Formats: sequence, structure tokens, C-alpha cells
Amino acid sequence: MKDVYILAIESSCDETSMAVVKNGSEVISLSITTQMDTHAKYGGVVPEIASRMHTEAITFVLEDCLEKAHMKIEDMDAIAVTYAPGLTGSLMVGVEAAKILSLMYNKPLIAVNHLIGHIYANNLENKMEYPLLALIVSGGHTELLVMEDDYSFKKLGETMDDAIGEAYDKVARVVGLPYPGGPNIEKLALKGKHSYSLPEPVLDDTYNFSYSGLKSAVINLVHNEEQRGNIINKEDLARSFQDVAVDELVRKVEKAFRETGIKRLVIAGGVSANQYLKGEMSKLCDKYNAELLIPRLLYCTDNAAMIGAAAYPKYLKKEFSDYSLNVSSNADIV
Amino acid sequence: MYTLFIDTHYTKLQLVLFKDGKVFDERIKLEGKHSEYFIPLLQDLMQKNKITFSELSGIIVVNGPGSFTGVRLGVVVAKLISYCENIPVKAISYLQALSLKYDYECLIGIQDKNGVFVGRFKENHDLIEDYFYLSNHDYELYREEIIIDEEINLDMVYEYLKDKKDINPHLLKPIYVKKIEVDK
Repeated sequence: MKDVYILAIESSCDETSMAVVKNGSEVISLSITTQMDTHAKYGGVVPEIASRMHTEAITFVLEDCLEKAHMKIEDMDAIAVTYAPGLTGSLMVGVEAAKILSLMYNKPLIAVNHLIGHIYANNLENKMEYPLLALIVSGGHTELLVMEDDYSFKKLGETMDDAIGEAYDKVARVVGLPYPGGPNIEKLALKGKHSYSLPEPVLDDTYNFSYSGLKSAVINLVHNEEQRGNIINKEDLARSFQDVAVDELVRKVEKAFRETGIKRLVIAGGVSANQYLKGEMSKLCDKYNAELLIPRLLYCTDNAAMIGAAAYPKYLKKEFSDYSLNVSSNADIV
Repeated sequence: MYTLFIDTHYTKLQLVLFKDGKVFDERIKLEGKHSEYFIPLLQDLMQKNKITFSELSGIIVVNGPGSFTGVRLGVVVAKLISYCENIPVKAISYLQALSLKYDYECLIGIQDKNGVFVGRFKENHDLIEDYFYLSNHDYELYREEIIIDEEINLDMVYEYLKDKKDINPHLLKPIYVKKIEVDK
């Protein structure tokens, strides 16, 4: 079969990224510019500034991506783009860019869900085999899914309130760590011990998650200690929080291993970059003799290569979009 | 010699094809989401006239001020066509485009929901200082000095830009004018 080259565009949050991906698995080139330093000044992503920076970066990123690939847009078989979920204004820049490139070069347009992109990041260096369990952990999502085949998703459970990444960021803010909070909590936790008692999130028998109770418990604990004039041991608090937060994921995945008999786990989304999570899941997978796939760091965080990977099955099925394609800030996988 | 004119700065979406400096064909959509109609209308304009993007000899884009999102869509598309096909691109603000109709120093304004974007232009249509935004309340105080206009003259825009320099598409940016929350 002829090789398929997809030019993929990702602009859902604060990274402008483009990639050329061959056959949904081989990254020919990847270009990413991050706006993290700019948003750090405001303590979080400012949507309007993000949209502006995507607009300024778009042709530079395209140039860099094509130069690295030593290819031209004419050589592509399709143009893929993240259309949801994410920041509306940011998504629009990428989607409009993809549409005009598709129109100019007469290439099919493929709309990709960002979360599905995170899952398919696992195809970039490995090959996902089915059935598998997919755990999505990011700033906006915490979900456990079963995939029986390409683009076949069944939801086992999801967070009933905050996403795990959101809880990390909020806890970071409470203890005074700069944006982005999640990675900073992880670093701090390495130096601490589990000395604070925090409530376990959900003790019910479902696959659902909950992080708002844990988050509130941390906030209350910090306020109470401050009022008593006690100094918080930030390292220990970070460690105690992380243990409970990750344990919640481990318990639910373990339940899924037991009840479904599935022997594969893929982890996707920004929080999959967390080394502690990776270590705990790895132990769990050993216990159940299951295969664990986590993309390497570069493909865990937002990038266009994963969008190219997720676009490939849609290319094969000729699931193309027309030019009225609109963005969506919210789009569930199932 | 075809030039493509793109204006997505506010609620009206206008795409115009100039042929040898004269308006040849156009597509106008008065309401609706630009993100849904812009590229389909552009496709229709190009295909009905059997023109490919590489055959364009120039692009003119209205780069603001107006709706942040609207302006961005026009600018992103103009940048990419210009960059990919190596087609010269020129930008003009809607206020400057309006000023071409007035042969004296004047203040020109365009209204949005909450106020008025204003620019002061010399007789030769050069901008004096910077654009600014007046809330509806402040606008009431200067009402008589500001010319509120809506309709640009496309022939004048083409003529005015004919001898102006092209912009490097990498550096083409929207004009926003209005401050955003975090900068206030």
C-alpha cells in the first residue's frame, strides 16, 4: 500500500504545533512553539493572548515543520487539525489554517478530537493492540475507557467534578507554586513524605473519579495550619496529595483489569508525563501481567504528531470534513 | 491579474476578486459565523471564476479593528495564502479604508456593541498617532467630531494600496486596539 503522509495542526491551548506523520505512526517532523512563559506571568493561560500568539506563530511553525521534513504541502495526502476540545479562539486559528491549506492544495481535511489524539500518541512509538484500557488524565479530563478497535470507545467512568490535572494546578496555587502547577507539585513531592492525612476521593463501586473533595481538603488543611500559625511542609503536602490522587487512578484501573480481563493499558494526556503515576501504573501492570503504553514525554504534552496519528484511521475510512467545520470547546469522546 | 480582497473584521464577511484593478466578482455574507462561511465562500468565489490561488497576483486583507476573532480569521488565511503561494499581501485597517473617502484631516469611527474604534487621519490618509477605542459613554462627548461610516469604496482601496509596500506574511498581524481584561 502507498505511504500516507498527513500534515497535522494542533492549537487547542498554549502550544502551536505542526507535524508531518507517515502512516499514522512515524513522525517525519514535529514543530512546537510554546507560549508557557507568557502565560506564566498571568498565573494561567489567558485565552485571548493564546489566540493572538497562535496567529503570529502559524506561518513560522509551518515553515519549520516542512523544512525539517524536507517536504512540501503538495506531498501530503491530507491535512488534519484539532477541532475540539480546547480554547475556542485558539482552536479557530488552527482550524482556519487547516481549511485554507486543504482548499489551496486540494487535500482532504480531517477533524481530530484532541483527547483521541492523546490516546493515539501511543501509536507513534508502539502499536496499540485491542482490546485495551485507555486512561485519559489531563487538565480538563479524567476518564477510563475501553477500546475494542480503532475509534471504538466505551466509557467505564470519568471524573464527577474536577480533572486530576486541575486538582494538581489548584493545589500548586495554594502552596504558592508558579504556573504550570502540576509538574511543580510532582518535583516537590519527590522530596516529601506522606505525613498529612487526606481523604480518599471516591470509595464507591463505580469507575468514576472525584478530585474536588481532595482539592478542598488540601485547601482547608493549608488554611487551618496557617491560622494556627503552623508552617506547612510543602514537600510533604505535595507528596501526600500526589499519593492520594494517583492511588485513586490505580484503584479504578485495577478494578477494570479484574473485571474486564483486558491486559493492556494506555495512558494519555498531559498528566501522563507524571513519573510517579507512571511508576505506580507500571507496578500495577506487572501485578496483572498487563502491557503498559505511555508515550514519551514529548508526545505526552500537546503536540501535532499525535493529531497526525489519530487522523490516520479516519483517512483510511475517508472520514473527511467539509469547510463549514466548526470548533468546539467541549467534545466528549463518547 | 487577479487580486483577492478579504474583510472579516466584523459581522459582515466580504470577499472580492479584482481583475486588473476592477471589482470582478464578490461574495458577501451579512450575518452568521465567519468560521463556518468564510472558506466555503472563498472556495465558491475561486471555483466559479476558475482561478487557482497560485494565479493571484495580490492579496488585500482588512486587518482590523473589530471582532478579535473575526479579524484573526482573515489575517490567518491571508498570511497562509501569501506565504504558501508567495503572493504579495497588503493590509489596511477598516478605518483607513474609510478615510480614503475624505480628503481632509478627520476622525473616522466604526461602532461595535460597546463603543467606537477611532482613528485620526491626515489629508493624505496617513494615520496620526494611534487608533483608540471610546466607550459608548465617552463617544457621546465627542460625537460631533467623529465621522461614523460603514461603507468603504473598494476602487479607492485598490488605488491607494497599489503603490504601497507588501508585508512579509510572517509579520502580518491584526490590529486589535481594544484592551483585554488582563492588561487593564
